[in-house]
Amino acid sequence: MTFTVVVADDDQDIRALVGIASERAGLRVVASVGDGASALAAIRSEQPDLAILDVTMPELTGLEVCRQVRADGVNEDLRILLLSASVDDASKQVGFDAGADHFLAKPFSPRQLVAWLAVGKEPR
Amino acid sequence: MSHQRPRMWATIIHGIEDPSPALKQSATAVAVLVAAVLTIVVPGIAPTNATFAIAGLSIVAIATVLAGIISRVDRLAGYVLLVPVIDLIGIGAFRAGTGGGASAFSALILLPVVWIAVSNGRRYIAIAGAGAAIALTIPNLLSLSLPTASLDYVRGLFSTVLFTVAAAIVNQVALQSRVALGKLNRLAEDKEVMLQRTVEYAAQLQESEAKYRSADRLFRGLWAAVTEQAVIGTDATGLIDAWNPGATKILGPSQDEAEDKMHIFEFHLTEELEARARELNYPPGETVLNPGFSALVELARLGKADVREWTWLRVDGTPVPVEVSVTRRVDEGGRTVGYLFVASDVTKQREVARLKDEFVGLISHELRTPLSSILGYLELMRDDEQHPLSAEHLQYLSVAERNANRLLRLVGDLLFTAQVESGRFPLDSRETALAAIVLASIESGRPMADAAGVELVSHVPAGELLVHGDPVRLGQAIDNLISNAIKFTPRGGIVTVALEAESAQAVISVSDTGMGIPASDMDQLFSRFFRATTATRNAVPGVGLGLTITKAIVTAHEGEMSVESEEGVGTRFSMRLPLVTLSAAAAVS
Repeated sequence: MTFTVVVADDDQDIRALVGIASERAGLRVVASVGDGASALAAIRSEQPDLAILDVTMPELTGLEVCRQVRADGVNEDLRILLLSASVDDASKQVGFDAGADHFLAKPFSPRQLVAWLAVGKEPR
Repeated sequence: MSHQRPRMWATIIHGIEDPSPALKQSATAVAVLVAAVLTIVVPGIAPTNATFAIAGLSIVAIATVLAGIISRVDRLAGYVLLVPVIDLIGIGAFRAGTGGGASAFSALILLPVVWIAVSNGRRYIAIAGAGAAIALTIPNLLSLSLPTASLDYVRGLFSTVLFTVAAAIVNQVALQSRVALGKLNRLAEDKEVMLQRTVEYAAQLQESEAKYRSADRLFRGLWAAVTEQAVIGTDATGLIDAWNPGATKILGPSQDEAEDKMHIFEFHLTEELEARARELNYPPGETVLNPGFSALVELARLGKADVREWTWLRVDGTPVPVEVSVTRRVDEGGRTVGYLFVASDVTKQREVARLKDEFVGLISHELRTPLSSILGYLELMRDDEQHPLSAEHLQYLSVAERNANRLLRLVGDLLFTAQVESGRFPLDSRETALAAIVLASIESGRPMADAAGVELVSHVPAGELLVHGDPVRLGQAIDNLISNAIKFTPRGGIVTVALEAESAQAVISVSDTGMGIPASDMDQLFSRFFRATTATRNAVPGVGLGLTITKAIVTAHEGEMSVESEEGVGTRFSMRLPLVTLSAAAAVS
């Protein structure tokens, strides 16, 4: 069974970059979307193992998507990785409070993301 | 004008008291002249001896001339009584020429006698009497015959006594009137002095009133001119008693609606006042008149400066962010009788600060996103195992990566500078060993030093120096100093990084053998975007944020930055940080 991922970022190039990294790590991208509302819909319909969400997105921010998904309480095993251009500890903490599991600051190294995903897809 | 009046009164009184000799003499002269005319005109009284009559007239004429002279020449004033005395001789002679002892003009004697008698002193009664006697006896003397008829003796003696008595009466009356006049005079003088004082006092009053009016106008002008700041005065309980146009503009109520009717704390948010009361450690539920108001004026009551931001509520309920300065009002005895609140509406400033934060956030995000793509895809290219790049292409890639990273650092520095400016400076402080941080910075600077052909020397002792601080920020500050030193040192130079303890401080110094900083640049060195003239002259890259950031970090750690430099010799930057006290450090270990 392949480890599935939903990627959401309003920047198409970053979205593609994350997609490439995911595939290199052996993950299957089930949805790649550009706004928070679509991300929420995709997570609810696809039930992925992982969601990689940009914080700053139109419609719903990554943080709001996080909160709603956690409020659903349906997919308890879903892991959420937040991507953000903000680097300070305060915004990191806001992300964790919203229910994210991991935080990755932009710009990130695809090499490191691939390594991290490759380890992360193994069953816990 | 009016103050000349008293002097005029004195002049008039003085004139009545002492008419001029010419004026006094004129009465005698006119009377004698009338008598002379009568002797010519009236048939029964023609002169009996024309020579004596004319001699008498002449003598009176001489006396009149003398009176005229004495009137004009002040220093002859002492001889004034010569005039009536000569008159009496003249009148005597005139009588001798107009019937002698039986002359019809004996009454003429009265005028000079009165003149003499009014003089001040009893002796003038005697002089007047003697004068009258002479005038009465001259006709007998001139006829060189003793009076024969007893009538003549009686007439001479009786008339003399009569004139002497008259002189005595006149003398007494004159004395009394002189005393009365003297009193009047003194009164007039007193009155004059008092009037003078009154006039001066009135002038002073007028002057101080003018000053008061001008100060009042200035104050009213100032009060009305302050239209952008609220100036509100209250009594000691917070009841408003002064309210300026600015207060109306910011809060709504007019002066009449506010003064003596509203309290200052009605415009405050209760939560803010309560929060302030807690901040001041007021016991909860304290039974004071109004704890909120007490909290509001706490510092001012103690005579301290108090400027802070509050939220005021307009009468329509709209909140207004304001910066309020509170001071106390004191009476003559120095007791606090009320407070003054001077407030500025800071809505615009807050809006500007918010926009700036938003802008910086946006820029930072908008720049980081494309940089993420650039760096990410460059890395994908480098890692593409299926299509390995040639050595030349890898070289090109490095240049692109290096420059993208440079841009990224710049964005980070800009964001950080903005955070420093807005006072939101995230510090993740903890007990930190400096040696490790300094060594890490030296290691990360080594590739740059090697590339620049600069020797990087480390003087970091083995012992632990502990400070309370954010290791990432402190590392950033030391990185900045080291990369600066390398940039400004020519090939073959030396950069020395040292860590040492000096009393209660840790001193990190970075010295170079570089181009140095001109003395004229020293005071601007830590200003944002400032670049030393040696930096621009030698085309050393940079934007002028490094030292600003370094100093901000050091200051946030309650440390100090210092710099010594000599152009062409080298520069030494030092940062001093307070060490964690030995006891605290011992507790940790």
